Amino acid sequence: MKFLSLANKDLKELVRDRKGLFFILVFPIFFMLVFGFAFGGMGQSNTPYKLAIVNYDETVTIPMTGERINFGNNLTQLLEEAKYENSDVNLFNVTKMSESEADALLKTRDIDAALIIPDNFSESVLALINHTIMTTTNPLAASQSTSPDITSTLIIRGDTGFINFGVSQGILVGVLAQYQDEIVIQTQNAVQGTPGAQPTVFLNSKVEPIEGTQNFTSFDFIAPGMIVFAILLLATTVAANFTREVESGTLARLKLSKMKGFDLMFGGLIPWSLVVVVQVIILLVVAVAIGFHWQGGLNSILLAILVGVIGGIASIALGMIIAAFVTSVSQATNLGTLITVPASFLVGAFFPLPDVEIFGIPFNAFLPWTHILDALRSTLTYGGGWNDISYSVAVSLVLTVILFAIGVILFSKNRLKSEN
Amino acid sequence: MADYIIETQNITRKFDGFKAVDGLSLQIKKGEVFGFLGPNGAGKTTSINMMVGLLKPTSGWVIIDGQDMEKFDKAAIGVCPQEIVLWDNLTCAESLKLIGDMYEVPKDVLKQRVDQLLEDLFLTDKANTLVKNLSGGMKRRLNLAMAVVHQPEIVVLDEPSEGLDPQSRQVLWKYILSLRDEGKTVILTTHLMDEADRLSDRVAIIDHGKLLKLDTPVNLKKEIGGGDVVEITLSDDSMNQKVIKKIEETGNVLSVLEVEGIINLRALNAVGKLPQIIDDIEETGARMADLSVRQNTLEDVFIDLTGTRLRE
Repeated sequence: MKFLSLANKDLKELVRDRKGLFFILVFPIFFMLVFGFAFGGMGQSNTPYKLAIVNYDETVTIPMTGERINFGNNLTQLLEEAKYENSDVNLFNVTKMSESEADALLKTRDIDAALIIPDNFSESVLALINHTIMTTTNPLAASQSTSPDITSTLIIRGDTGFINFGVSQGILVGVLAQYQDEIVIQTQNAVQGTPGAQPTVFLNSKVEPIEGTQNFTSFDFIAPGMIVFAILLLATTVAANFTREVESGTLARLKLSKMKGFDLMFGGLIPWSLVVVVQVIILLVVAVAIGFHWQGGLNSILLAILVGVIGGIASIALGMIIAAFVTSVSQATNLGTLITVPASFLVGAFFPLPDVEIFGIPFNAFLPWTHILDALRSTLTYGGGWNDISYSVAVSLVLTVILFAIGVILFSKNRLKSEN
Repeated sequence: MADYIIETQNITRKFDGFKAVDGLSLQIKKGEVFGFLGPNGAGKTTSINMMVGLLKPTSGWVIIDGQDMEKFDKAAIGVCPQEIVLWDNLTCAESLKLIGDMYEVPKDVLKQRVDQLLEDLFLTDKANTLVKNLSGGMKRRLNLAMAVVHQPEIVVLDEPSEGLDPQSRQVLWKYILSLRDEGKTVILTTHLMDEADRLSDRVAIIDHGKLLKLDTPVNLKKEIGGGDVVEITLSDDSMNQKVIKKIEETGNVLSVLEVEGIINLRALNAVGKLPQIIDDIEETGARMADLSVRQNTLEDVFIDLTGTRLRE
């Protein structure tokens, strides 16, 4: 297996070149630190986010009091009045509208996020209240109860490529968790007659600061972007490495042997993929250390590594394409930088850019790193699982395979054939 | 089986209009050491790059063992480039194993070959030393080992002695002759006439991309005639032509000409004729700064063919 011998060679060269390896791993950390400190405090500017609420909720009657209540409206009111911690600034500017109106405004980014409250929301809140009452008054009976749990799903909809959605989504998840906890606490207090509680009112409109909202910052949106930036920068390093083989004549030595283009490319994939794995882990650790609110646990790290490796392969392919056209290491470095830095902006690594459309499809949708970034944000920032990122992973994989095929063809044609 | 292992048919290579190789046609026999002798920039490396498939001829054909260039078995050729082409961060043994793997040499065979090569080229104690920590001579020897680890039928050595100390050169020359003894075909490019003279069975003299002469070193030297070579340096080289005319009039020598400010003459029994030659010089009023007598070499063949010395 010639490609394994080449992989072994590349790995040894990579590890033994301590200075080179140091720069490969440390350079992106430097950017992560700069962006972390620059944007880590941006969320504290206390800007209200524009939130559309689509309320399909149907009013229910509370059996104990006969009171008719729409918990959807209750939640809406709470969101309207919620304020940043230690501040008079509202978390959201809430507008009620239809789902189609909300979708249209999301597309034009005139609103930051839409919260869709389902028709059985009140019913499920009521079920939660009943369950809480039973577990509080008679835990044994509650455990034997056969009454069905009613769950409802609140949908937080938005443009995952839009930084404001990232922040709004983070805040909303916190608010909703707090809302559910409040219902349980209020119910327990009412049943047990805790001093100050009002037994007939399960929910009130008391607004409390949402724990954690003061910490959710733009950096949480940018950190996965920095990982993608680091992965993209690999293209420059890979291009320089391939070109160094050309310049030093070692590629000519390999060309004279029975080695095929495939062996060279696949041989290169293994060590560089390992570099990506190490980079993703190091960058994530650094990001968390300087304030990134990583969600999703160990599973998200594994998913991020998988996604990162796909992005790394795309970068290796880009590196091969660059190396197919340049004649010196300095040219490879210059051209690599000229391509990877704008590409980082294009895919939205630092902040989202307006879409440039080709045949109705945003241009950056053709770049695998755009989908890599979506997947990384989804799993690291929003705590999404495999189901949430599978589409992005699939698209990025297809685009990476195409890019890799182009890289192999161009590099083989320009560098592995007899010189014309 | 073809009698000739490599044939070039009127190959020409142009770079931006400049002809580096101009209509080169030659045939290299199996099992011979074939020397390419010529000054730097004569087109030797370009010629062999076309022969091994690294460079496409602008026109003409290269046939290897009776087959078209595209079809021959790559393992049949091993190339030792003029420059040291090694991976700095691999050890000697790792470098050889890598190249062996690239030529699909079986693992057990490869290990034996690597050990043997390291021993033959006096690198055994450096087997696990990183290439970047080797001396220039050691790198040269490893460069050669990389070309032969897969035991090719044709070994191409491009200026293998370049930058070698005398000791390493002796090791190299001995190894090249051992390759011939094993029946390998060796193609050697050099601008060192004694290297071409001592190692080559046949020598192609090449300059400005053209083949000037091709024969055995002995025949080439015979062709310009026997005798010794006398080189005379005058204290005033503007007198050179006057002295040359005088020596020609005396008619005691086979040839006399000026080469880069020095009077170069060939004569049978040159030592016996030296008193007459010195008299001729004194008659012209010129004064000698230096005089040497030696046997003729391939460089004299080159001088005879081109009127100039081999350029460094």
